[in-house]
Amino acid sequence: MKKTIAVVFGGRSAEHDVSIITAHTPIIQSLLALGQFDVWPIYIAKDGSWYSDQAMNDLAYFKQDNFLEHLARQKKVRILFDKGLKIIWPGIRQKTVQIDIVFPAMHGTLGEDGSLMGLLRMADVPFVGCDLFASAVSMDKVLTKQILAVENISVVPYTWFTRNDWGTDRSACIEKIAGLGWPVFVKPVHLGSSIGITKAKQSSELENAIEVAFHYDDKVLVEKSVENLIEVTLPIMGNEELRLAAIERPLNKTEFFDFSDKYLSGNKNGGGVNSRYSEIPANIDKELAGRVEDLGKRTYRTLGCSGIARVDFLVDETSRQIYVNEVNTLPGSLYYHNWKKAGISAVELVAKLVFLAEERFASQQKTTYTFHSDILKKAGGQKRMAG
Amino acid sequence: MLQASEYNIFDYLTWYRKTRNFNLVEKRKGLVRTTKSLLLLVISWSMVLFLSGIGIFLLLIYTGQFKYVFFFLVVIFSPHLLAYGIIIPLLTTRVMVQWPAELLIVNAAKRKLKIHTAIKIGVAGSFGKTTMREILKTVLSEGKKVAAPPHSHNTPLGISRFAKTLKGDEEVLIFELGEYCPGDVRRLCNLVQPSMGVITGVNEAHLQRFKSLERTVGTIYELSDYLGKKPVYVNGESELGQKNARPNHFVYSRKGVRGWKIENQKTDLTGTSFIMTKNDMGLEMKSALLGLHQVGPLAAAADIALILGLSPEQVKSGVNKTTPFSHRLELKTDDAGVVTLDDSYNGNPDGFNAAIDFLASLEGCRRFYVTPGLVEMGSQTEEVHRQIGRRLARTSIEKVVLVKNSVTPYIEQGLKEEEYHGEIIWFNDALAAFVALPLLTVKGDVVLLQNDWPDQYQ
Repeated sequence: MKKTIAVVFGGRSAEHDVSIITAHTPIIQSLLALGQFDVWPIYIAKDGSWYSDQAMNDLAYFKQDNFLEHLARQKKVRILFDKGLKIIWPGIRQKTVQIDIVFPAMHGTLGEDGSLMGLLRMADVPFVGCDLFASAVSMDKVLTKQILAVENISVVPYTWFTRNDWGTDRSACIEKIAGLGWPVFVKPVHLGSSIGITKAKQSSELENAIEVAFHYDDKVLVEKSVENLIEVTLPIMGNEELRLAAIERPLNKTEFFDFSDKYLSGNKNGGGVNSRYSEIPANIDKELAGRVEDLGKRTYRTLGCSGIARVDFLVDETSRQIYVNEVNTLPGSLYYHNWKKAGISAVELVAKLVFLAEERFASQQKTTYTFHSDILKKAGGQKRMAG
Repeated sequence: MLQASEYNIFDYLTWYRKTRNFNLVEKRKGLVRTTKSLLLLVISWSMVLFLSGIGIFLLLIYTGQFKYVFFFLVVIFSPHLLAYGIIIPLLTTRVMVQWPAELLIVNAAKRKLKIHTAIKIGVAGSFGKTTMREILKTVLSEGKKVAAPPHSHNTPLGISRFAKTLKGDEEVLIFELGEYCPGDVRRLCNLVQPSMGVITGVNEAHLQRFKSLERTVGTIYELSDYLGKKPVYVNGESELGQKNARPNHFVYSRKGVRGWKIENQKTDLTGTSFIMTKNDMGLEMKSALLGLHQVGPLAAAADIALILGLSPEQVKSGVNKTTPFSHRLELKTDDAGVVTLDDSYNGNPDGFNAAIDFLASLEGCRRFYVTPGLVEMGSQTEEVHRQIGRRLARTSIEKVVLVKNSVTPYIEQGLKEEEYHGEIIWFNDALAAFVALPLLTVKGDVVLLQNDWPDQYQ
């Protein structure tokens, strides 16, 4: 009998639609092509409702003009987290499907940020990709920088503040930013896919940039812009033994590699990251490439990543200084276009990730989380005695 | 589906009788809106309205004893009445309008071609006709004004329409002579009146229609019968072509043609090269066509060109300009560096063998062979497909991707008989395979897409 695998996507996130693409291209399509799994899509709508129907295995389901009408007719599912994950379709003829493995395909908040991983850990079910801790840390760009800095991994000079800080002491925030030097990048701390990011070249552009970032998040990161910039990214896969894809260089159309460059422009199929605007492998010298790869592996391990992640770098072409910019624990469409050029097909990639999930789960099963104790019995009696 | 079957009533009825689920018949291609198809659509809807009217009449107005019996009979048989009923207007139009009109067009074309002074070359065969036509056209165009019907226009009407476009100053005309039943090639010969012929080979293609290979041979060799002592080139790499060649025929193959000796044949993804030598003359040829099976046709075209007065330099230049034709071992490389060999219009056993041999000859890459198999193989269906499987197994092709249908299990059997060591990957339909292929491949892989099935085959 085939193993059941649930692919979870959508969610209450600004990257809801990107998540739908990632889930289908390549994850669901590859799982179906593998033919080894009974694939169950779990779609979380923008309002937080959970649905599951194998018709959703087809990306066309989400492209229908009357998609929302179709969705309104779908029965919502219940998820049981008791000793494994179960999908339940309630009703007179209630149906239950036991899920053996989960493949999270969620980007951004309330999914990629560790929330989903927490639920899956509670359910005691193997799941693909980074675990709770790496996901949560990597989702917070500030926390990521703080941890990497402790391990002597270079990060670009930055400052951060919350919406409350900005509301109560704006001048202090601006003063901290001015110390960085212009221009600067203003970013929502928890968002990916370059959403809400603005480059401010002078103080007059700053307030607007910060307002844009606070529209998406309550914590904002401002970092010094690296001039003479080469931006490169490196997808990495593995638990203990790491496998690197090719170093990729986005060829920016706009001032920085934004959401539309990444996902929309020039890609006929609308699936996966746009490959036309990136150079694979990046045309950088061997020494620089070696340092990027080494830094990538150190970053992956420092943050406790497993399964898959992508490390983004900023390189100052003049000084040859390499900074780790951020870590993405679920690269859009798994960056399969890059893996493909590195010699790993999407089907092999997805199969390997499922294997890594099972390997990590098996390892976690060796850890003891509970033990027998009579502390409760003793606690009451001792108290009375003490009294 | 009538349109997909090119309005062939026999094919349409075969499909209708075999189909169990009519919900999913338009998998690949929808209705192309032409005057004919729209007219049939209007007639179909009129029949639906008429049958609905009868149903309503029986239910609401008719008061006879068996009103409900008649009503249910109408409901149950309506789909069949519609499916078979549509044939009546089609046949009526064909007999009353289409055939007389076609007769006029064909007769006019025949008169025009009779007085046309160009050298007319007829190309007949179970396979390879379009490739031969295009090779001849490309090579001969180096020194002559050449014209040939476009696409696969190889029926009397298609050729007649092409004849209408001729200006009269063409020096060479090349005609592909299509064969669907005995007598077809003879009829086309009477129309185009060739002075030279090429028989590209005979095999099991369309065997379902011809019932026997002897009938296929007889039909294709109608070209030879028509030409008598005039020059006929025959592909010696086709077993049946070679066997039926007559003493006055010029047999061509990768070894040579009409005294030309061919040596040093090489082929890879960049093309095919060979050297033709005869007496003191040596011609170094290079073509972008893929596969050693192209050497024979290229050599035959070169020989014809020399006979027609082209210089050796013009012939070399012409061969150099031959490139793969649309969907016939056509090479495409995508952004990710995956090479696809689109051979989706190749639907005959010899073509399959040639493509498999070419894929097998490639080195230093992972090779995928993707096929739904062949159609219309009649009584030879099982054996032809088992042979394909056995041939694949004898190569070191790494992956065989099969589309589930009535014939691919025979390919699997052939693979197993020869203990194939690679991976067999199955897909429910061709679309699923096409979606999955980009996910299965990496940079440097070579994917051969062999043949494609229209919706009317299952």
